[in-house]
Amino acid sequence: MVFAKKVKKIYCLSVLSLFSFVSLSQTLTVGFIDFPPHIALHEEYKDSPLYQYINEVFLQADFNVVYVKLPRERAFTELIKGRVDVLMPTSIPSNHETVRTLSFPLFHTVPGLCFKKENYIPILSATHRFEKLNIGVPAGSQLVAALTDSQANLIPLKGEDVTSRGVELTQRGRLDAFYHPSPVKVYHQENPLYKEVACSYFHGYSTPIYIAIANTMSKETFTAINQIFQKAMLEEPYEYYFAMRK
Amino acid sequence: MTLSSIKKIALKVVCFLFASIYLISFNLHANDAQMKSLINDITKMYMSSMVYVFKSQPIINDKNIDKKELLGKRFIDNIKQTYLAKYNEEFPKEDHFVKTVLLQAMVEVMDDNKALLYDDEIGFKGIIPATFAFQLSAKLSTKGVGLKIKFTRTAGQIRNKLNRPDSWESSVMKKIQNNPKIYYDENALLNGRPAIRQFTPLPMAHYCLACHGIPDNNPLNAGKKRSEWTNIDITGFEMENWTIDDFGGGVSISIEKSVLE
Ligand code: HEC
Repeated sequence: MVFAKKVKKIYCLSVLSLFSFVSLSQTLTVGFIDFPPHIALHEEYKDSPLYQYINEVFLQADFNVVYVKLPRERAFTELIKGRVDVLMPTSIPSNHETVRTLSFPLFHTVPGLCFKKENYIPILSATHRFEKLNIGVPAGSQLVAALTDSQANLIPLKGEDVTSRGVELTQRGRLDAFYHPSPVKVYHQENPLYKEVACSYFHGYSTPIYIAIANTMSKETFTAINQIFQKAMLEEPYEYYFAMRK
Repeated sequence: MTLSSIKKIALKVVCFLFASIYLISFNLHANDAQMKSLINDITKMYMSSMVYVFKSQPIINDKNIDKKELLGKRFIDNIKQTYLAKYNEEFPKEDHFVKTVLLQAMVEVMDDNKALLYDDEIGFKGIIPATFAFQLSAKLSTKGVGLKIKFTRTAGQIRNKLNRPDSWESSVMKKIQNNPKIYYDENALLNGRPAIRQFTPLPMAHYCLACHGIPDNNPLNAGKKRSEWTNIDITGFEMENWTIDDFGGGVSISIEKSVLE
């Protein structure tokens, strides 16, 4: 329990310093990017598990939090310009290496393939089964070795909404499957597409998803938020909270 | 200072030294025992979860049954029951955070499979002990808690490349392959850091051969003409032609020592 103890110690020490630096009613603008089923912005986002978890965390710290919904394309600009203080959930885009994040990832996402139900391949370590399959891949996206080293025909998918295109082409039989960096966004029970496709995962190739923090945020506020978040994650990790939701 | 007082002091120093050596060594032994008991508990918890996933195949693959037994607290309760039945002893107390992390990871893995479990258009879901074990390993590796679990076998006939044995595992399997027994190493390394490691062989059973055996054992061939037989098992892999006397591989568990302090 050393780690937990250390964190507790650091936490206790920092709580003291925290109160002296951070005014209790400091306003914090938190930007959410759509990431169903964690946070679904087309619905009442306050019902989403990620909102509920995070709101609980910030409440403990007595911040005055303002939430905003952001389209993915604009989200990072808003963060860099300091118009939002906190942005989530996000992987670190390769062209934004300088983005600050809280020290624990919020959750992890695993890439996978989505199939028409009748052609479903449940276990993707059986890469020999990809031979001669036509697999759509979002143009320019980073793929896992299990796929690029296989004998599949990889067909680039272009356009704004690659997922819809992928679903459409698999339905029409033009593709056997399409690659998705986070199929959980598509293949979950609340999504209408749940009836159209079935997805499986490249387990062992996960990407951490973080809470990003504006560079304009003061060191003290950053430390304060980081401590509160770490404490919450040690008490109940978000992924576990998500799995236990009703 | 008289000679006798020097003697007295010397005696005290010697006594003190012996006492501390005794205490230190007692402590080390206590630590050894604790480490061993922790890795044993983890092994048995993991094995029980695999057995429960095996026993639940009918529920997992049924298109119309509710899947509650496989999710959340119910899943853990079922694993605890399985543990009790398998080892005839109470489920270990959650007295170390790696045990808590392991149980949480089990729940998380099943939740990751929730959409698939409830998909009433998919029959065979591929959630078998081996894939559950691998998902759990992958999940644990993201937790950064210095606990690593792997389901592996001698290199050469590995289905999932990411299950390939490392050099410690290979050398251990070489030693025990012909006489499978638990192998414990308290002075090993994990990610270059001091660790305890344990390899627990999995005994080959008849039901393993349904996938890893010969086409005769493949349930997909039942009732079919020999000319129509396939050597691809239900999970989509080529069968390895193992027999009941072959080595079944095993579970390899490593815990960094820093976690134990
Ligand atoms: C339903 C089919 C099935 C049965 C029954 C089965 N296995 Fe497997 N086994 C698999 C699959 C599929 C994998 C690959 C899992 C993955 O992708 O990680 C595997 C993986 C393994 C591995 C890990 C190394 C590797 O090849 O990736 C071992 C060891 C193993 N099986 C041994 C056994 C033993 C021993 C039994 C019986 C106690 C057994 N299996 C029963 C299908 C099966």
